[in-house]
Amino acid sequence: MLTDDRKEALQEIANIGMGQAGASIAQVLGEFVQLSIPRILIVPPAEVPTTLARTVEESTVSAVRQAFYSDMRGEALVIFGQHRCNDLADLIGYEADLDHAAEVELLLDLSNILVGACLGGIAEQLNLAIGFSAPSLMADAIPLSRLLQDNPVPWTAALLVEVDFSLEKRSFACNLVILMPEAEIERLMRAVDLFLESL
Amino acid sequence: MPLSVLVVDDSPIARKMLIRSLPANWDIEITQAGGGAEALAAYRSGKVDVMFLDLTMPEVDGYQVLETLQHEDMNCLVIVVSADIQAEAVERVKAMGAIAFIKKPVDAARVEAVLREYGVIV
Repeated sequence: MLTDDRKEALQEIANIGMGQAGASIAQVLGEFVQLSIPRILIVPPAEVPTTLARTVEESTVSAVRQAFYSDMRGEALVIFGQHRCNDLADLIGYEADLDHAAEVELLLDLSNILVGACLGGIAEQLNLAIGFSAPSLMADAIPLSRLLQDNPVPWTAALLVEVDFSLEKRSFACNLVILMPEAEIERLMRAVDLFLESL
Repeated sequence: MPLSVLVVDDSPIARKMLIRSLPANWDIEITQAGGGAEALAAYRSGKVDVMFLDLTMPEVDGYQVLETLQHEDMNCLVIVVSADIQAEAVERVKAMGAIAFIKKPVDAARVEAVLREYGVIV
Protein backbone atom coordinates (compact mmCIF):
# COMPACT_ATOMS: atom_id res chain seq x y z
CA MET A 1 0.00 0.00 0.00
CA LEU A 2 2.80 2.37 0.90
CA THR A 3 4.96 2.36 -2.23
CA ASP A 4 8.22 4.30 -2.20
CA ASP A 5 6.69 7.11 -4.23
CA ARG A 6 3.71 7.44 -1.91
CA LYS A 7 5.89 7.30 1.17
CA GLU A 8 8.23 9.89 -0.25
CA ALA A 9 5.34 12.17 -1.16
CA LEU A 10 3.63 11.82 2.23
CA GLN A 11 6.91 12.39 4.00
CA GLU A 12 7.54 15.63 2.14
CA ILE A 13 3.94 16.78 2.57
CA ALA A 14 4.02 15.97 6.29
CA ASN A 15 7.38 17.72 6.52
CA ILE A 16 5.83 20.93 5.19
CA GLY A 17 3.01 20.63 7.74
CA MET A 18 5.47 20.01 10.55
CA GLY A 19 7.42 23.11 9.61
CA GLN A 20 4.33 25.11 10.46
CA ALA A 21 4.03 23.24 13.77
CA GLY A 22 7.67 23.94 14.55
CA ALA A 23 7.19 27.65 13.95
CA SER A 24 4.12 27.71 16.22
CA ILE A 25 5.91 25.77 18.97
CA ALA A 26 8.97 28.00 18.71
CA GLN A 27 6.68 30.95 19.23
CA VAL A 28 5.04 29.36 22.29
CA LEU A 29 8.38 28.35 23.83
CA GLY A 30 10.41 31.31 22.67
CA GLU A 31 13.20 29.05 21.55
CA PHE A 32 14.56 27.76 18.25
CA VAL A 33 13.23 24.31 17.47
CA GLN A 34 15.20 21.75 15.52
CA LEU A 35 12.98 19.65 13.29
CA SER A 36 13.71 16.16 12.08
CA ILE A 37 12.44 14.78 8.81
CA PRO A 38 9.22 12.88 9.64
CA ARG A 39 9.33 9.12 9.18
CA ILE A 40 6.22 7.42 7.89
CA LEU A 41 5.07 3.81 8.14
CA ILE A 42 1.82 1.96 7.76
CA VAL A 43 1.32 -0.90 10.22
CA PRO A 44 -1.59 -3.12 11.19
CA PRO A 45 -3.00 -2.10 14.61
CA ALA A 46 -1.69 -5.31 16.20
CA GLU A 47 1.82 -4.11 15.44
CA VAL A 48 1.32 -0.57 16.71
CA PRO A 49 2.41 -1.37 20.29
CA THR A 50 5.68 -3.04 19.25
CA THR A 51 6.41 -0.29 16.74
CA LEU A 52 5.78 2.34 19.39
CA ALA A 53 7.93 0.51 21.91
CA ARG A 54 10.74 0.70 19.37
CA THR A 55 10.36 4.40 18.64
CA VAL A 56 9.23 5.92 21.94
CA GLU A 57 12.32 6.00 24.07
CA GLU A 58 10.61 6.14 27.42
CA SER A 59 8.52 3.53 29.18
CA THR A 60 6.15 5.93 30.95
CA VAL A 61 4.05 8.08 28.70
CA SER A 62 1.21 10.53 28.55
CA ALA A 63 -0.94 10.72 25.47
CA VAL A 64 -3.50 12.94 23.87
CA ARG A 65 -6.08 11.80 21.33
CA GLN A 66 -7.82 13.94 18.74
CA ALA A 67 -10.35 12.81 16.16
CA PHE A 68 -10.48 14.21 12.65
CA TYR A 69 -13.20 13.90 10.04
CA SER A 70 -14.42 14.85 6.55
CA ASP A 71 -12.33 13.73 3.52
CA MET A 72 -9.81 12.24 5.95
CA ARG A 73 -11.23 10.33 8.87
CA GLY A 74 -9.56 8.78 11.87
CA GLU A 75 -7.89 9.59 15.13
CA ALA A 76 -4.51 11.07 15.94
CA LEU A 77 -2.56 10.18 19.08
CA VAL A 78 0.29 12.28 20.34
CA ILE A 79 2.52 10.36 22.73
CA PHE A 80 4.86 12.15 25.10
CA GLY A 81 7.56 10.46 27.14
CA GLN A 82 7.06 11.36 30.79
CA HIS A 83 10.22 13.08 31.80
CA ARG A 84 10.24 15.00 28.60
CA CYS A 85 6.93 16.51 29.69
CA ASN A 86 8.67 17.69 32.84
CA ASP A 87 11.50 19.18 30.81
CA LEU A 88 8.98 21.00 28.76
CA ALA A 89 7.17 22.41 31.77
CA ASP A 90 10.51 23.53 33.09
CA LEU A 91 11.35 25.14 29.80
CA ILE A 92 8.29 27.30 29.65
CA GLY A 93 9.00 28.53 33.12
CA TYR A 94 6.76 26.51 35.38
CA GLU A 95 8.07 25.65 38.82
CA ALA A 96 9.32 22.13 39.47
CA ASP A 97 6.01 21.28 41.09
CA LEU A 98 3.96 21.90 38.06
CA ASP A 99 0.30 22.23 38.68
CA HIS A 100 -1.19 19.14 37.12
CA ALA A 101 -4.00 20.97 35.37
CA ALA A 102 -1.46 23.31 33.78
CA GLU A 103 0.61 20.35 32.57
CA VAL A 104 -2.43 18.74 30.95
CA GLU A 105 -3.31 22.07 29.38
CA LEU A 106 0.18 22.31 27.92
CA LEU A 107 0.02 18.79 26.44
CA LEU A 108 -3.38 19.51 24.91
CA ASP A 109 -2.12 22.77 23.38
CA LEU A 110 0.99 21.17 21.92
CA SER A 111 -0.99 18.23 20.56
CA ASN A 112 -3.50 20.52 18.98
CA ILE A 113 -0.71 22.45 17.24
CA LEU A 114 1.01 19.26 16.03
CA VAL A 115 -2.07 17.44 14.82
CA GLY A 116 -3.54 20.54 13.20
CA ALA A 117 -0.30 21.40 11.42
CA CYS A 118 0.59 17.88 10.30
CA LEU A 119 -2.86 16.66 9.23
CA GLY A 120 -4.06 20.09 8.17
CA GLY A 121 -0.91 20.43 6.04
CA ILE A 122 -1.42 17.02 4.45
CA ALA A 123 -5.09 17.72 3.72
CA GLU A 124 -4.40 21.16 2.29
CA GLN A 125 -1.73 19.99 -0.10
CA LEU A 126 -3.81 17.03 -1.24
CA ASN A 127 -6.92 19.22 -1.65
CA LEU A 128 -8.87 17.26 0.95
CA ALA A 129 -11.26 18.74 3.48
CA ILE A 130 -10.56 18.05 7.15
CA GLY A 131 -12.10 19.02 10.48
CA PHE A 132 -10.90 18.36 14.02
CA SER A 133 -12.57 17.51 17.31
CA ALA A 134 -11.19 18.96 20.53
CA PRO A 135 -8.16 17.03 21.88
CA SER A 136 -8.55 15.07 25.09
CA LEU A 137 -6.14 13.45 27.50
CA MET A 138 -6.00 9.72 26.84
CA ALA A 139 -3.30 8.58 29.22
CA ASP A 140 -1.64 10.27 32.13
CA ALA A 141 1.77 8.87 33.06
CA ILE A 142 1.07 5.21 32.40
CA PRO A 143 3.37 2.45 31.14
CA LEU A 144 3.62 2.54 27.37
CA SER A 145 2.62 -1.12 27.20
CA ARG A 146 -0.75 -0.27 28.74
CA LEU A 147 -1.52 2.63 26.44
CA LEU A 148 -3.30 0.67 23.73
CA GLN A 149 -4.50 -2.10 26.05
CA ASP A 150 -6.46 0.40 28.09
CA ASN A 151 -7.60 2.28 25.02
CA PRO A 152 -8.42 -0.17 22.26
CA VAL A 153 -8.54 1.57 18.92
CA PRO A 154 -11.26 0.59 16.48
CA TRP A 155 -9.20 1.25 13.37
CA THR A 156 -7.97 -1.44 11.04
CA ALA A 157 -4.67 0.11 10.07
CA ALA A 158 -2.43 2.81 11.32
CA LEU A 159 -0.32 5.35 9.53
CA LEU A 160 2.56 6.19 11.80
CA VAL A 161 4.20 9.56 11.49
CA GLU A 162 7.16 9.85 13.74
CA VAL A 163 8.37 13.36 14.42
CA ASP A 164 11.03 14.68 16.71
CA PHE A 165 11.43 18.17 17.89
CA SER A 166 14.49 19.09 19.79
CA LEU A 167 15.25 22.38 21.38
CA GLU A 168 18.70 23.83 21.45
CA LYS A 169 19.02 23.54 25.21
CA ARG A 170 16.91 20.48 25.96
CA SER A 171 15.56 17.58 24.09
CA PHE A 172 11.88 17.17 23.58
CA ALA A 173 10.46 14.55 21.30
CA CYS A 174 7.02 13.22 20.75
CA ASN A 175 5.41 10.69 18.48
CA LEU A 176 2.40 11.32 16.37
CA VAL A 177 0.35 8.26 15.44
CA ILE A 178 -2.42 8.62 12.92
CA LEU A 179 -4.98 5.83 13.09
CA MET A 180 -7.33 5.38 10.18
CA PRO A 181 -9.60 2.65 8.86
CA GLU A 182 -8.01 0.78 5.98
CA ALA A 183 -10.53 2.12 3.45
CA GLU A 184 -9.64 5.65 4.56
CA ILE A 185 -5.94 5.00 4.11
CA GLU A 186 -6.69 3.77 0.59
CA ARG A 187 -8.59 6.96 -0.10
CA LEU A 188 -5.66 8.99 1.19
CA MET A 189 -3.31 7.00 -1.08
CA ARG A 190 -5.48 7.80 -4.10
CA ALA A 191 -5.18 11.48 -3.23
CA VAL A 192 -1.40 11.03 -2.95
CA ASP A 193 -1.36 9.40 -6.40
CA LEU A 194 -3.25 12.36 -7.87
CA PHE A 195 -0.74 14.70 -6.26
CA LEU A 196 2.16 12.70 -7.72
CA GLU A 197 0.58 12.76 -11.18
CA SER A 198 0.28 16.55 -10.95
CA LEU A 199 4.06 16.95 -10.55
CA MET B 1 23.62 31.33 -22.59
CA PRO B 2 21.30 29.58 -20.16
CA LEU B 3 21.88 30.09 -16.43
CA SER B 4 22.85 27.07 -14.35
CA VAL B 5 20.32 26.36 -11.64
CA LEU B 6 21.02 23.80 -8.92
CA VAL B 7 18.09 22.39 -6.95
CA VAL B 8 19.17 20.87 -3.62
CA ASP B 9 16.77 18.75 -1.58
CA ASP B 10 16.96 15.24 -0.15
CA SER B 11 13.39 14.63 -1.28
CA PRO B 12 12.95 14.02 -5.03
CA ILE B 13 9.30 15.05 -4.62
CA ALA B 14 10.35 18.37 -3.13
CA ARG B 15 12.76 18.92 -6.02
CA LYS B 16 9.95 18.25 -8.49
CA MET B 17 7.63 20.64 -6.64
CA LEU B 18 10.27 23.37 -6.77
CA ILE B 19 11.15 22.83 -10.43
CA ARG B 20 7.46 22.96 -11.34
CA SER B 21 7.24 26.42 -9.76
CA LEU B 22 10.13 27.98 -11.71
CA PRO B 23 9.19 30.58 -14.35
CA ALA B 24 8.24 28.77 -17.58
CA ASN B 25 10.18 31.01 -19.96
CA TRP B 26 13.35 31.22 -17.88
CA ASP B 27 16.40 30.16 -19.93
CA ILE B 28 18.09 27.72 -17.58
CA GLU B 29 19.82 24.40 -17.28
CA ILE B 30 18.68 22.52 -14.18
CA THR B 31 20.88 20.20 -12.14
CA GLN B 32 19.68 18.41 -9.02
CA ALA B 33 21.49 17.41 -5.85
CA GLY B 34 20.10 15.01 -3.24
CA GLY B 35 22.21 16.34 -0.39
CA GLY B 36 24.60 19.00 0.84
CA ALA B 37 27.79 17.18 -0.14
CA GLU B 38 26.55 16.69 -3.69
CA ALA B 39 25.54 20.36 -3.82
CA LEU B 40 29.00 21.52 -2.76
CA ALA B 41 30.61 19.26 -5.34
CA ALA B 42 28.43 20.79 -8.06
CA TYR B 43 29.25 24.29 -6.80
CA ARG B 44 32.98 23.58 -6.81
CA SER B 45 32.84 22.32 -10.36
CA GLY B 46 31.95 25.95 -11.13
CA LYS B 47 28.62 25.43 -12.75
CA VAL B 48 26.11 27.03 -10.40
CA ASP B 49 24.60 30.49 -10.91
CA VAL B 50 21.51 30.09 -8.76
CA MET B 51 21.08 27.51 -5.99
CA PHE B 52 17.73 26.56 -4.44
CA LEU B 53 18.71 25.05 -1.10
CA ASP B 54 16.67 22.98 1.37
CA LEU B 55 17.64 23.29 5.05
CA THR B 56 16.59 20.05 6.72
CA MET B 57 18.64 17.28 5.12
CA PRO B 58 20.46 14.27 6.58
CA GLU B 59 24.26 14.45 6.84
CA VAL B 60 25.30 17.78 5.32
CA ASP B 61 22.31 20.11 5.84
CA GLY B 62 21.50 23.48 4.29
CA TYR B 63 23.14 25.46 7.09
CA GLN B 64 26.39 23.57 6.59
CA VAL B 65 26.24 24.22 2.85
CA LEU B 66 25.79 27.95 3.50
CA GLU B 67 28.64 27.98 5.98
CA THR B 68 30.98 26.26 3.53
CA LEU B 69 29.95 28.59 0.72
CA GLN B 70 30.75 31.58 2.92
CA HIS B 71 34.29 30.29 3.26
CA GLU B 72 34.53 29.76 -0.46
CA ASP B 73 33.45 33.23 -1.65
CA MET B 74 29.86 32.24 -2.44
CA ASN B 75 30.00 32.90 -6.13
CA CYS B 76 26.33 32.13 -6.70
CA LEU B 77 22.92 33.31 -5.54
CA VAL B 78 21.46 31.06 -2.86
CA ILE B 79 17.72 30.96 -2.29
CA VAL B 80 16.72 28.87 0.71
CA VAL B 81 13.57 26.80 0.26
CA SER B 82 12.36 25.35 3.51
CA ALA B 83 9.45 23.93 5.45
CA ASP B 84 11.11 25.22 8.62
CA ILE B 85 9.63 28.70 8.71
CA GLN B 86 10.71 29.87 12.16
CA ALA B 87 11.66 33.53 12.22
CA GLU B 88 15.05 32.55 13.57
CA ALA B 89 15.68 30.19 10.64
CA VAL B 90 14.99 33.05 8.23
CA GLU B 91 17.36 35.38 10.08
CA ARG B 92 20.08 32.74 10.30
CA VAL B 93 20.17 31.93 6.61
CA LYS B 94 20.10 35.58 5.59
CA ALA B 95 22.99 36.28 7.94
CA MET B 96 24.79 33.41 6.23
CA GLY B 97 24.43 34.99 2.81
CA ALA B 98 21.23 33.57 1.36
CA ILE B 99 19.45 36.22 -0.71
CA ALA B 100 15.96 34.99 0.07
CA PHE B 101 13.91 32.51 2.04
CA ILE B 102 11.00 30.81 0.33
CA LYS B 103 8.65 28.65 2.35
CA LYS B 104 7.31 25.30 1.27
CA PRO B 105 4.97 24.54 -0.42
CA VAL B 106 6.63 26.80 -2.95
CA ASP B 107 4.54 29.54 -4.49
CA ALA B 108 5.54 30.21 -8.11
CA ALA B 109 4.69 33.93 -7.83
CA ARG B 110 7.04 34.27 -4.86
CA VAL B 111 9.89 32.59 -6.76
CA GLU B 112 9.37 34.94 -9.69
CA ALA B 113 9.28 37.98 -7.39
CA VAL B 114 12.60 37.02 -5.79
CA LEU B 115 14.25 36.41 -9.17
CA ARG B 116 13.03 39.78 -10.43
CA GLU B 117 14.16 41.57 -7.30
CA TYR B 118 17.71 40.35 -7.89
CA GLY B 119 17.60 41.00 -11.62
CA VAL B 120 17.98 37.31 -12.44
CA ILE B 121 14.98 37.61 -14.70
CA VAL B 122 13.68 40.82 -16.22
